[in-house]
Amino acid sequence: MREGGGIRIEWGQLALVTALAGLALAYLIDARSVSLSTQNLLLLQPTAIIVLILWAVIAYGCIRRGETDEGPSKADWAGRARVLAMVAAFGAFIFSLERIGYDIAMALFVCAGLWIGGERRPLVLVLFPLIFTAAAILGFRALVPYPFPTTLL
Amino acid sequence: MIDLDAAGSAVALLAGSLDAWIWVIPGLLIGLVFGAMPGISVSMAMALVLPATLYMEFLPAIIFLTSVYTGAGFGGSVPAVLMNIPGTSSAVATTFDGYPMARAGKHNEALGLALVASCLGVLGSYIVLFVLVQPLAELVLRIGPFEMAAIAIWGMILLGSLGGKSLSRGLFAAGIGILIGTVGMNTAGYLRGTANIPELLDGVPTIPAMVGLLAASQLFGLVNTHFLVESEEDRQISLRRIIAGGMMTFRHPVTLIRGSMIGALVGAAPGVGSSISNLLSYAEARRASKDRDSFGKGNPEGVIASESANSSSEGGSMATMLALGIPGGGATAILLAAFAMHNVVGGPRFMDQNRDIVYAIILSNFAQAVLLLFVGTGFVFCASAIVRLPLRFLIPCVLVMATMGSFAIEGSIAGPATLFVFAVLGWLMSSAGYPVAAVVVGLLLGRLIETEMLRAWQLAGGDPAEVLNHPAAIGIILLMCLSLGVSAWQERRRRRAKDLIGVG
Repeated sequence: MREGGGIRIEWGQLALVTALAGLALAYLIDARSVSLSTQNLLLLQPTAIIVLILWAVIAYGCIRRGETDEGPSKADWAGRARVLAMVAAFGAFIFSLERIGYDIAMALFVCAGLWIGGERRPLVLVLFPLIFTAAAILGFRALVPYPFPTTLL
Repeated sequence: MIDLDAAGSAVALLAGSLDAWIWVIPGLLIGLVFGAMPGISVSMAMALVLPATLYMEFLPAIIFLTSVYTGAGFGGSVPAVLMNIPGTSSAVATTFDGYPMARAGKHNEALGLALVASCLGVLGSYIVLFVLVQPLAELVLRIGPFEMAAIAIWGMILLGSLGGKSLSRGLFAAGIGILIGTVGMNTAGYLRGTANIPELLDGVPTIPAMVGLLAASQLFGLVNTHFLVESEEDRQISLRRIIAGGMMTFRHPVTLIRGSMIGALVGAAPGVGSSISNLLSYAEARRASKDRDSFGKGNPEGVIASESANSSSEGGSMATMLALGIPGGGATAILLAAFAMHNVVGGPRFMDQNRDIVYAIILSNFAQAVLLLFVGTGFVFCASAIVRLPLRFLIPCVLVMATMGSFAIEGSIAGPATLFVFAVLGWLMSSAGYPVAAVVVGLLLGRLIETEMLRAWQLAGGDPAEVLNHPAAIGIILLMCLSLGVSAWQERRRRRAKDLIGVG
């Protein structure tokens, strides 16, 4: 992205490094609020300080240089949307596991993943998730010593 | 060093017992399959087959379990190469170059390299064990927190080497990893950074976080790709190329021997083992290489360094277990449990009174390493078929398997939730050009470094001069400084030579 006067700012990169450095600072403050003892801060405090110094170096780099002046093309946007859809589907899968059962969540996620990946044959979209889910649930139930909630299987 | 009478008895014991042999190949196969499944660790695979050994004689039972151990040790590298998923922390460094090789269509060669390096690593470490079992165990007893802190700092130095072109981003990522690794209650009893989440009391679950950072984040990036290997020609599964890859291992004997030595020595230290030895070996291989920049982009030496070290850790941890009765990790703890199930107590007395059995276990592992070469080749040939699967099928299935593996480790939703959080973090960081591997290494070493530094600090009573009473720790630090100095000097010479060529 280009700003006036030839200064280029990579806003996305700057936001990420600032967010991570912010978390490191919050962690340092939290740890210092617990105790100022050396045994608490022996490794944590110097590491957090180094991270904050490196944030300044990287943030300065984000302001000085920009790698592209042109925005992403239409194809790039479609690709990014597919990646974001997969991330969102995976998040929905994880957070629905305990609510709707591992079996239903798994079948829905595999179906959604196939769709996002470009599969459009209805039979494959229905049968493959069902067969895979049944095999995965029964296999892991035999292997894993912990119970996990399922709705149908 | 070698008790020849006992060695002779061990050969007779093995030659006269069919039971001691029939369980080797099933054990290797079970280990390979379980090791290749994300989330099923070596110790979990051994725990699953432990009840079956109750009805076996003592020696066949132990040989069966060590076969599972050997098979699972290599099995973990198959998903590391093919899908960037380190099934266990000991296969982390295998992903650094193994996965780029697979993406470049060299999956056959990468798997062949990993297999032969693993077999030779196991063989090498058991040869060391055969000759030096007693002195090695005594050496382990001398490793205290000062020495461990020095080894861990040596590991930390390598974090910079994972930075690629931008050192600041590499160090930043490593720093974030170390901070994440220290979340929770430390050994001095201070509770930090848990944000009132009870699951974080023991720290961030390492394996789900690692799989999320390395594998799930990569899978998100592959959504717009059709196959793991884009070129149809390179997607072939070729036994000839697997063997050619295996033969490539012999072109790097120094990397192989160095990796095996690091693996055997570090693996012998209780509680550390293969999770750090593969990283140390990788860092040393990269530091010593003339073509340092190609590491992380598919350099075969990276795969050899990691695999030789993680597999030779098995021999090291067996030394501690057999000679001292101390389990170095989960796998040797299960072996000790199998000892107990047969009313045998491991340790110095067992070693003294049953040296023939100890040698029989070691000799059987020589055979296991050789058999792994053949069983592993067949396994790798079948597993390589994954590159022919369209990614639209592979991505959701692997994400589901990783989720279930994370659940299997934690036994609660905390595993899958950690996987998701770190998958998103890894995806964002790798999209922005940060080396995600550095976060993983920081995460693995953060807690270890803090624990050892704390123990050293407590033993020294807060006096830094106490380190002078620990010559081994000073020796490790001096060696580290020397090796860094030599590589900096070599780098300077190389740059000067380049400049001269440029001027000329």
